[in-house]
Amino acid sequence: MAQVKRIEPDLQFIKEMQAAGGESLKKCYQCATCSVVCPLSPEENPYPRKEMIWAQWGLKDKLVGDLDMWLCHNCGTCSDQCPRGAKPADLMAAMRNMAYQNVAQPTIMGKFMSSSKYLPILAGIPALIFLIAWFVTSGFFGLPLDENGQVLYRLVFPQTAFIDPLFGLIMVAVIVIFIRGILSLIKTFNDSPQAPIGGVPVLTVLKSTWQVIIDEILSHTKWKECGGDNNDRYFGHMGIFFGFVGLFIVTAYVGVAYWLGVFTGWDLMTPMSLWNPFKILANIASIALIVGLILVTKRRLNLDDSKFKSSYYDWYLLGVIWVVTLSGMFSQLLRLANVPAVAYPMYYIHLVSIFMLFAYLPWSKLAHLVYRTVALGYARHIGRSPKPQA
Amino acid sequence: MSSKIGVYICEGCDIGPQLNAGQLAEFVQSEYGGSCPVVKTAPVLCSQEGKNLIQADVDAETVDGVAVCACSPRVKWDVFQFGEKAVVERVNLREQCAWTYVRPEADQTAEGEVPETLRMMAQDYIRMGIIKLQKHTVPQPEIPEVTKTILVVGGGNTGMTAALGGAKLGYDVVLVEKQDQLGGFGAKMYKQVPYSHPYTQAMPTGIDKKINDVSASDKIRVFTGSTLSKLEGAPGQYTAVVATGNGDERIPVGSVVLATGWKPFDPEARVVEAEPPKEEAKEGEEIATIETPEIQKGENVLAPLGHGKFTNVITNVDMELMAKKGELLRPSDGRPVQSVAFIQCAGQRSKEEGHLDYCSSVCCVVSLKQAGYLREKNPDGKAFIFYKDMIVPGVQELYYKAAQDDPGIFLTKGDVVEVKEDSDGGIIVRAENTLLGEPMEVKVDVLVLATGMVPTTLAEPVMNFAYRQGPAFPDLSLFSGFADSNYICFPYETRRTGVYSAGCVHQPMLMGAAEDDAAGAVLKAIQCLESINRGMSVHPRSGDVSFPKFNMVRCTQCKRCTEECPFGALDDDEKGTPQPNPTRCRRCGTCMGACPERVISFEEYNVDMIASMIKENEVPDDIDEGGPRVIVFVCENDAYPALDMAAFQGKKWSPYVRFISVRCLGSINSIWVADSMSKGIDGVLLLGCKYGDDYQCHFAKGSELCNKRMENIAETLGRLQLEPERVQQKQVAIDEYDKIPQIIDDFMNHIIDDIGANPYKGF
Repeated sequence: MAQVKRIEPDLQFIKEMQAAGGESLKKCYQCATCSVVCPLSPEENPYPRKEMIWAQWGLKDKLVGDLDMWLCHNCGTCSDQCPRGAKPADLMAAMRNMAYQNVAQPTIMGKFMSSSKYLPILAGIPALIFLIAWFVTSGFFGLPLDENGQVLYRLVFPQTAFIDPLFGLIMVAVIVIFIRGILSLIKTFNDSPQAPIGGVPVLTVLKSTWQVIIDEILSHTKWKECGGDNNDRYFGHMGIFFGFVGLFIVTAYVGVAYWLGVFTGWDLMTPMSLWNPFKILANIASIALIVGLILVTKRRLNLDDSKFKSSYYDWYLLGVIWVVTLSGMFSQLLRLANVPAVAYPMYYIHLVSIFMLFAYLPWSKLAHLVYRTVALGYARHIGRSPKPQA
Repeated sequence: MSSKIGVYICEGCDIGPQLNAGQLAEFVQSEYGGSCPVVKTAPVLCSQEGKNLIQADVDAETVDGVAVCACSPRVKWDVFQFGEKAVVERVNLREQCAWTYVRPEADQTAEGEVPETLRMMAQDYIRMGIIKLQKHTVPQPEIPEVTKTILVVGGGNTGMTAALGGAKLGYDVVLVEKQDQLGGFGAKMYKQVPYSHPYTQAMPTGIDKKINDVSASDKIRVFTGSTLSKLEGAPGQYTAVVATGNGDERIPVGSVVLATGWKPFDPEARVVEAEPPKEEAKEGEEIATIETPEIQKGENVLAPLGHGKFTNVITNVDMELMAKKGELLRPSDGRPVQSVAFIQCAGQRSKEEGHLDYCSSVCCVVSLKQAGYLREKNPDGKAFIFYKDMIVPGVQELYYKAAQDDPGIFLTKGDVVEVKEDSDGGIIVRAENTLLGEPMEVKVDVLVLATGMVPTTLAEPVMNFAYRQGPAFPDLSLFSGFADSNYICFPYETRRTGVYSAGCVHQPMLMGAAEDDAAGAVLKAIQCLESINRGMSVHPRSGDVSFPKFNMVRCTQCKRCTEECPFGALDDDEKGTPQPNPTRCRRCGTCMGACPERVISFEEYNVDMIASMIKENEVPDDIDEGGPRVIVFVCENDAYPALDMAAFQGKKWSPYVRFISVRCLGSINSIWVADSMSKGIDGVLLLGCKYGDDYQCHFAKGSELCNKRMENIAETLGRLQLEPERVQQKQVAIDEYDKIPQIIDDFMNHIIDDIGANPYKGF
């Protein structure tokens, strides 16, 4: 007989998967409706049917190295059509949650990010850091004003000495963590080779990455293909995505301009004029972000509980982005209204939430922006994606 | 015997306009005159007016026989009843004439008149109805002394449930159990599969309570350590000979519930079927008695799965006993079991020698239950189940779902290709075609083979009937030895009236189902007692008080009746003279059909009556002028209702056929065919139930025996220089009404085109 795999189910792993959002996974009886109705699943070794039995049998090795969890865009058609209420979509989401928890080092952070019971610690760290900074610059809850008697956030949280070094350090750390995560992810993909779809040319790494960025990320085509009544998800994700892209550009500009100003003496300091093109971009991006958030949140709140369940990972990310966005907008409005007693605490909240968004990024659902990109690129690279058109 | 017959012709439901009721009435008056003093027509005979019309004549004693010329006897049977003073015969002018008639081209009757062919048909049916009334005698029931005690054989879950049920309804019960204690296998079980909401957790067997209840009941007499060594007599008057530790006891009993249950599958057993009895006894020859199969020893068919080779390979029965004892321990070293694999359908569902060819239907849920034992006793335990198909009857689906939801239970379809023993005593199971999409193996502490149930009736007579046909039930090989029957409509029946089977000797089933089965069987046993004490047949002719009479003077002791009775109703003396047992009889008339001397008859159904009916048909001398004639003998159980349904559906067929209803094709005596032929009838069609392994005959063997007798009939025809194909038997199920026109037309075409007219016409 050819090599036969000895199966040793990992009972603990099954329970973890169930805790991470796949609580109904044992209900599957392998009818394959899920794989048939999935708009994205390839014909060879389709998902999510095989993932369901792997999960039932506690086959951790197979699940952890599964590329297909990233090909799934979570429209939920499978869960909708599942005759047994096994919720395959939730399992795929749970698998990704497990990846957020385990791929990035140190995994203790993953554990902290996996349950709401650790939320006080995660929020407490930045809350304390920024409170100390506040105390150091302005005394106990000091509310300093600039020479024109206006609110100036830089007075409490100085960019040169504090904000930029802190977030610069976080950025470097996150990048390093992600590079290690990507390498380990690729290694698991390599260890459990996925079946390439016959006939599709295998692309170079560069070309497949480029295609992912153009064909999938920027155009959101997979979102459109994924599932039937999909507008809330499609436009919601697009709003949030491009909102973030806009704000990233603005943040990058602010950073560059600030340091350019420091070295040249030009007045490129914040706050910017409301008519500054970057400021306009920032406000448009914020509005896109809010519209996206409303759509996505509304959808999650209206999910049919018997078919889909949002996990803690979903709510953590949504919650943090909501706080970042709202506190950012209110910080601007309160600054313009010049109400220091509320403006500074608001900005404080804004900074804490930004810290929670970025410092914990590799262990949060937002890490998908890296992992999914890598996996989609890998899938194109080995010819598993895109699904060939009939 | 009716001498004053009233003929009442209905004009409703198309009968009046199509057949011209007035003309028919004139025909009766002119042909019968004084023997039919009353001939009336009514617009709607089933209306109150119509009924009153008849009742008045009956009450005035103007008539003692009523021929209702209207619809099928299967409808309005409750309307056309006029008390004990008059016998009623239904002449079916609606379904068999008005509704199904098509005028043949040859019929040249002028427009506006009743077609000649239709008129002849209606007249034939009326004449047949009248002669039937003239030949009819009101049967006088034989009322026997009935012992109202129920014997329950087997003191397990089923037997105890039946005994308690019978006792609760006020009947005395005798319970015979082979083992020294009551409880059967149920008492050896740890838990049972749930049979009440929410169906998710295995539950206690409840056997102990049942044992206490049985022991406490003053209506139940319990014999443990005892067997039924003989059952003599007939329902209502049985004597059960019970072999106890202190010798035999003879106990009078009325009816019996058979609940002897099952035995575990023996992988070394080979069932050798006994020689089947000869088709038909020749005159004076001894009757072959029913033999049970023999069990011989062979190789262990489960050896490829490690059974008998590896200590840690056990059966589901072993697993159950181990769980009942307490800990689940590995047989080889007594270590607590960490993992178990189950292989379903072990030694089952296979035609291979030594395997059971059926599905025991319980093993899937039993394995789920036993997987639950491991999970209950060891929270980290893992249970693997390899199945062909998960067969989970009915609501047990909920139990399956609950088990599937357990993180430690792993289910996969798969073909087990190899079972090996590891050096540490662990068992390695390899499987292909699994749900994982690839071959796989698991290593477990214990491998459980889910083997099936074998009925206790497989190779032992069990009941030990003191019947002429032998001590065992006939033809159990059709049901793999289970005391089952093909009575879709008559569950619990056996081929011995008064004996009703329940539980795992009946079919493989779970304890919950067995309790339902026990309740049903004991109710049948009670129905039996409460019918025969009125001289009535139990079923399928429930309430029938007639009984075959034997004119022993002319009996030649050929023993055909004794041998062919599907129910073993007849015993015989040394000379071979049949000894009737009225309460064993189901009134099918198979004996009447078998008798070459025609000495057997019922008061209202006999050879002479049907022969006379045949003779009442007007057969034209020339087939080209008046058309051919065909007699169709129709079984009243399924074929006759199918004819009615076909008529309701507007089906039409040849106007040259005449239907005669019979109790069963088994009751057809070959003389009727000879009579038909000498009358000039061109063909005879026998329409009855399916026979063979999947028989639907309500009397089990009637249609099959009829088919066997066709050879004799062919011989008779040959002697008359007639073509044997003039007589054919066709099988019709009750739902096959749509096939009826085709069957009739094919036969008619065959007679007209291929064979031609009966040369005896006009003699």
